[in-house]
Amino acid sequence: MSAATSNRDKSNTFRLLVPGVVWMILFLVAPIMMILYVSFWTQTTFSINSTLTLDSWKNFFASEAYVGALWTTIRLWLIVLTLTLLIGYPAALFVGLLVKSKTLSTILLVLCVIPFWTSFLIRVLAWRPMLGKEGAINIILQKLGLIDSPIEVLLFSELSVVIGMTQIYVVFMVGPIAFMLGRIDRNIIEAARDLGAGFGRIFWKIVLPLSLPGVVVGAIFVSVMVLGEFATSGALSGRKVNLLGNIIVTQVGSLKWAMASVVGVILTILLGIVVAGFLRIVDLKREI
Amino acid sequence: MTQSEPIFRMEGVTHRYGDLTALDDIDFVAEDNSYIALLGPSGSGKTCLLRVIAGFEKPDKGRIWFQGRDITDLPAHERGIGFVFQNFALFPHLTIFENVAFGLRNGAVKVSETDIADRVTDAIDMVGLTGLEDRSPDQISGGQKQRVALARSLVLQPKLVLLDEPLGALDANLRERMQIELRAIRERLDVTFLHVTGSETEALAMGDKVAVLDQGQIVQYGTPDAIYDSPAISDVALFLNRFNLFNGELQGDTFVGPFGTVPVTAAQPNKSDVYAIRYDRTRIFSADAVDLPGPALPVRYLASEYLGSSIVFLFETKDRKTVEVDHHLSLGEPRDLTVGENYTLSWDPAQAIVFGKETAR
Repeated sequence: MSAATSNRDKSNTFRLLVPGVVWMILFLVAPIMMILYVSFWTQTTFSINSTLTLDSWKNFFASEAYVGALWTTIRLWLIVLTLTLLIGYPAALFVGLLVKSKTLSTILLVLCVIPFWTSFLIRVLAWRPMLGKEGAINIILQKLGLIDSPIEVLLFSELSVVIGMTQIYVVFMVGPIAFMLGRIDRNIIEAARDLGAGFGRIFWKIVLPLSLPGVVVGAIFVSVMVLGEFATSGALSGRKVNLLGNIIVTQVGSLKWAMASVVGVILTILLGIVVAGFLRIVDLKREI
Repeated sequence: MTQSEPIFRMEGVTHRYGDLTALDDIDFVAEDNSYIALLGPSGSGKTCLLRVIAGFEKPDKGRIWFQGRDITDLPAHERGIGFVFQNFALFPHLTIFENVAFGLRNGAVKVSETDIADRVTDAIDMVGLTGLEDRSPDQISGGQKQRVALARSLVLQPKLVLLDEPLGALDANLRERMQIELRAIRERLDVTFLHVTGSETEALAMGDKVAVLDQGQIVQYGTPDAIYDSPAISDVALFLNRFNLFNGELQGDTFVGPFGTVPVTAAQPNKSDVYAIRYDRTRIFSADAVDLPGPALPVRYLASEYLGSSIVFLFETKDRKTVEVDHHLSLGEPRDLTVGENYTLSWDPAQAIVFGKETAR
């Protein structure tokens, strides 16, 4: 009887898993395998054939531009990650912990999401009239007499890419952190106060450790999106900043499938390492 | 009770939440080294009172002294008053040892590692949790969490510990054991416990003294037997859940109630006229009995409840008011009652307590 039940449980589990597994194999595992395979194909100027070769891989690592893009990607990712954390954490602290009313904190979170009502590209492009040589910031600073000539480095530079990405992705940091902070029992903080801990101590010993899963989830969101970015750098850097994503776009555009695949594989490996690294910090299964 | 220096004193403390007055001009003195129970129904302001004392809330008016020092404007983390939360509020990411060590590690006074180890070990030993130091709070039971919360406060050697319904989250068995243990632990240390509870049995059983809080005011403060024997106002008698209370009218030397007109020798000032007689002083007679000890209250028998050492009989008066009689079995077997039959309840009028709008004579 019980054996029969457990058999039925097993077959039910299996049946429930099938759609998801099939979907993942068709649309995730198979394409990744395909990319890996194509990265070893032979590319000539106008065509590609499936003769296996290491040429594309060798070309990637021999090219200063490609390797440079890898480092630019990593550098920009670290800068944006740091900025989203530095800007996002205090905001999350305010929304999730310091605002006492649940209604108000929900309203504030919704406000954070309002920019998402316009399309991603519009949000990126909106930075142009803001940062440009004759953009809003330069005009205001000149009117105030703070500067004589416009600051040119604001737009079409690495700075504008950093500003744009930080603005777009910071909310993905705020959300998970605010969620974790909101779950902290207020009594725990009061207990810490009662035991003689001042504000700083409470933050470092209680609030930060308890919100760490939120930080990790936020960091994973931001990392995954920034590492695969191409649109922001394309629109705001004036082609001066090339990320791995931009290279994939140009390679695909000129039908260089093999090189695009190489970059894709490298990006996937990089993402895997980053995500695995973050997951080592906190045992998310235990925390959530 | 030994007379001693007050450890803690509050004068004219008032606290409002918007329009709601949670604490209304409270004067209160707590003796050193004693167990004080603070009894009040929910919404009486008892948790608010603890939070004001701990410093989590600032009173709108009034001053608070602790160990001879005005602490009204002192932030919570500088007060040195222990607080045990109803939900224990253990730090979920720290081990039991680190939970107890938290105040020593993060307080204003630097404590050396060896001192921390010694004091934490002693505190954990005192609450009987030796061996569980490395567990995390989600690996221990409710009773054990309670002890950790207590040890975490006591390790700092406070002179005053506030306990906010500390037994509320425990099951009945554990509650009784923890009652005894809390008293024993307190007696071993030179510390005052201020224990807030909504349970009258808990308050009477645990407190050296009991303060009764109602609508933001302390309406009575005294030893448990003083409160039990002579509640100051009818509301106190009501919270104690040991008195049949009858509304009526006090007219000079007589009280007119559902049991007729009875003579009254003394009355306590109160906001309304109320006649109170304890459950266990009320006695049952047949409907046509003549040799009654005092007033005669005609009732109908509803049901009984067996409590081991006593039986509680429930009756109903003509105007549908439930009246309880607590018959202690050491007084002999109770009479057999038939549900739905009429009986007469009576009592010795000298044991009744009368509250009246007129001032006491």
